[in-house]
Amino acid sequence: MSYAVRSDALAKARGAVPYGTDIESPGMLWGALVLAPITHGTIRSIDLTAARAIPGVTAIGPEDLPRLLPGVPTDPERPIFPSKTIQYHAQPIAAVAAPTFGAARRAAQAVKVETREHPAVESIDEAATGPEPEVIGHVHARYGDLDGVFRTADFVLTETYRTNAVSQVALEPHAAIAEIRDDGTWFVRTSTQSPFGVREDLAAMLGIPEPQIVVEGTWVGGGFGGKGSSLVEPYALLLARASGRPVRLALTYREEFLLGRSTLPSLIRLSSAVRGGTIVGRRVLWKVDAGSSLPGRDFATGYGIGFTVGPYRVPAIELEGIALRTHKPPLGPHRAPLAPQCAFAAESHMDHLAQRLGVDSVEFRRRHVWLSGDATHLGQTVGPFGLSECLAEAGARARKWRERLPENHGIGVGAGFWSTGTGAGGEARLFLQPERLRIVQGEPEIGSGSVIRGLAAVVEVVLGIPRERIEVDYRDTATAPFDSGVWGSRTLGALGQAVEKAARELRAELAKRTDAPEGAIRLTVQGPELAVEVDGVSRPVREILRRDEIENGGLTTYGTHYGAAGSFDALRVLDGTFYPYTDFTGAAHVAEVALDPELGTVHVVRYAAFHDAGRVVDFETAKAQVEGGIVMGLGTALTEEGLWSPEGVLQNPGLVDYRIPTLAEVPPIEVHFVEGFLGAGPFGAKGLGEPPIIPVPATIANAVRDACGEGPTELPMTGERLARHLKLLRT
Amino acid sequence: MTTAPFFTVNGTSVDLSPVPGSERLLDTLRWRLGLKGTKEGCRTGDCGACTVLVDRASVLSCLTLAHEVAGSEVTTIEGLAAEDVGARIVQSFADEGASQCGYCTPGFVMALASLLHERGAAGDLAEFEEDLQGNLCRCTGYVSIRRASQRAREAVR
Repeated sequence: MSYAVRSDALAKARGAVPYGTDIESPGMLWGALVLAPITHGTIRSIDLTAARAIPGVTAIGPEDLPRLLPGVPTDPERPIFPSKTIQYHAQPIAAVAAPTFGAARRAAQAVKVETREHPAVESIDEAATGPEPEVIGHVHARYGDLDGVFRTADFVLTETYRTNAVSQVALEPHAAIAEIRDDGTWFVRTSTQSPFGVREDLAAMLGIPEPQIVVEGTWVGGGFGGKGSSLVEPYALLLARASGRPVRLALTYREEFLLGRSTLPSLIRLSSAVRGGTIVGRRVLWKVDAGSSLPGRDFATGYGIGFTVGPYRVPAIELEGIALRTHKPPLGPHRAPLAPQCAFAAESHMDHLAQRLGVDSVEFRRRHVWLSGDATHLGQTVGPFGLSECLAEAGARARKWRERLPENHGIGVGAGFWSTGTGAGGEARLFLQPERLRIVQGEPEIGSGSVIRGLAAVVEVVLGIPRERIEVDYRDTATAPFDSGVWGSRTLGALGQAVEKAARELRAELAKRTDAPEGAIRLTVQGPELAVEVDGVSRPVREILRRDEIENGGLTTYGTHYGAAGSFDALRVLDGTFYPYTDFTGAAHVAEVALDPELGTVHVVRYAAFHDAGRVVDFETAKAQVEGGIVMGLGTALTEEGLWSPEGVLQNPGLVDYRIPTLAEVPPIEVHFVEGFLGAGPFGAKGLGEPPIIPVPATIANAVRDACGEGPTELPMTGERLARHLKLLRT
Repeated sequence: MTTAPFFTVNGTSVDLSPVPGSERLLDTLRWRLGLKGTKEGCRTGDCGACTVLVDRASVLSCLTLAHEVAGSEVTTIEGLAAEDVGARIVQSFADEGASQCGYCTPGFVMALASLLHERGAAGDLAEFEEDLQGNLCRCTGYVSIRRASQRAREAVR
């Protein structure tokens, strides 16, 4: 298959694409945040005098908010500045703007803060000293004859797994440039995954109606969940309001780590009852460090907990998830939030169970894996689902690799499932012009290609138009049709459906105007112009469009998609909010690792991935997503870990001490798709942004288990941790 | 200071006299000269996004003071992409789909240009990849960047 060059590829390689960090505005000031010097405590005073004495500096603190805020904030759980109590180290407590970057940093340092410190809750570990964490979220579900199956089991296996904090590490820091326009519009250009989501956040945080806010997304230098909601935007806007000038606020890379919004530690206790070679019951207790966040606490537990069971049929289940508040920064979404961590536990547990039974771990999985039409742990029906087939392929690959396996090498298989966010809404407008077709929509391209390539591919399939004649046009929240943003791997699956509807409507209109059946319509290139071709006969688009249409941007159609989420058996829920899944995707991965028996270091020798992504609309883009997800997952598996001191101060807020994978350590990666299990997206496509990362830590852990006989129980599997693990095995 | 307070960027002479001694080359390029193809990532020398060429050798512009390059010839992605070798490297990255978000791409192109200049296109591939480790990418998993590097080596041979 030949690879047609992505339309943004040359400009990106030439450095000609403007990201959020690149935007400037005439007369702009440079913003900087003042960060809390302690982890937990009371603010006694914030003195901005010295900062304000620096020429050209505007400084704002909690006391200025009543004067600056245009309305009354409606979201008390997300204060712009804490009014009294600091909840985490480096929480923004004031902000400054100055004519130069250097002056802004100096002004931020000149702010004098007096605090009274309180003891901080820093760990959810039962053995931790210090105050007990507060329970801020609780979910509980149960079904089946749990006591019965545990009483009559052949054996019960109980294990505890720990996972640690991982950061998104998009290379571009958060950056926004804000101004208050003369007509009273609060305007912000920002590097975001979700302009409409940021607008909603800002409306709640600033207390003004959404139409008074305009959010324009820029090109995004990576998101991975970290740019899904507002972070720098409210500060930039308030500084603009206070100074009367446009203000640029970009985080330093240290602040990227300190301000968090990433995955935090969790403890996963799994207990399985086995009878006759199958799992007959499972109990799960999952404790999640929710940091200082309140929003999203239910999501973390109520959505994530299903991944501790995995995509398997278990006839009796009890799930309990507890979100605990600590004085870490707020928890946020990190590519497939918490699913790789839960899959690490669940899939390690599956391998351990298979080991106890003396059966092949892939066959053991296939004995339990959901097939299309099965029910989930909450009784939701699983749609078309090809994981069993992925597992079969993965098992075959594992057997082949095992034929010649050197000493201290191991082979692991891991699986995972995900639910594409096709329930979330999106809208798109198409404009057919004499020379090209434009897709106008409100989602910025964050890198995956799902907007610039995926949406174009949908139109290409419906109308037959060559992709170089398709333009994907991003617009701000004032002019674009609504879209929910880039999250949940939803772009192709959800916004793609809106585009597909608009394309089909356009095809129907062209069919009507040319008196041809819809299926016969194709848009072809005729010199510089487009033509409608029906059974080999072409008519220029220019002749088919009315004059007023040509003058007003083209023949236009509109598509919307507001999907319904699935439903589950509410009687199984005893407490808390659980979330239904929408479109089921699955993947099985295989890795060969070389384990250094002394140093504990893991070298990944080779890797293969088998994905059910429904209909693959664009193979190269899909393959690239899988490759990137796997390598990000290798970081989660092996090296990435946020480390806090007992005082609650992040110890490694930089790329030297928080290590992500580099080029030389990436193994050869094979990517395969198992097709035939159609999803809800265009032509049966399913989302693919998040699924590739999910099975990775589990796959590596199972390969380590294979190499040394016992599986690791904590992420990341650093050399130090594994060396200790190996030493324990030997003694 | 005895050196002339000038350097050249992409062949054009730049007067350093209004530039404070503490200013980083990265900021001079981006905010004084508007050359935003040089990306700002970590500002601590760890990610490689800000890589430029100083007298044809790759340098992290975030760790270099503007005054340090007085008398030198600085090449940024804007200049390199307009040259024959640079254009071939850029094309190799595009052809192999080696950008996703693209934020690291100009840095990779610069690092590769410097390696090709220094070692020629024939050197050992593993050593070559070893030397690209200073540039980080979070999107691609480096698979396509590897292919693009190989393609670029062939294209400039």
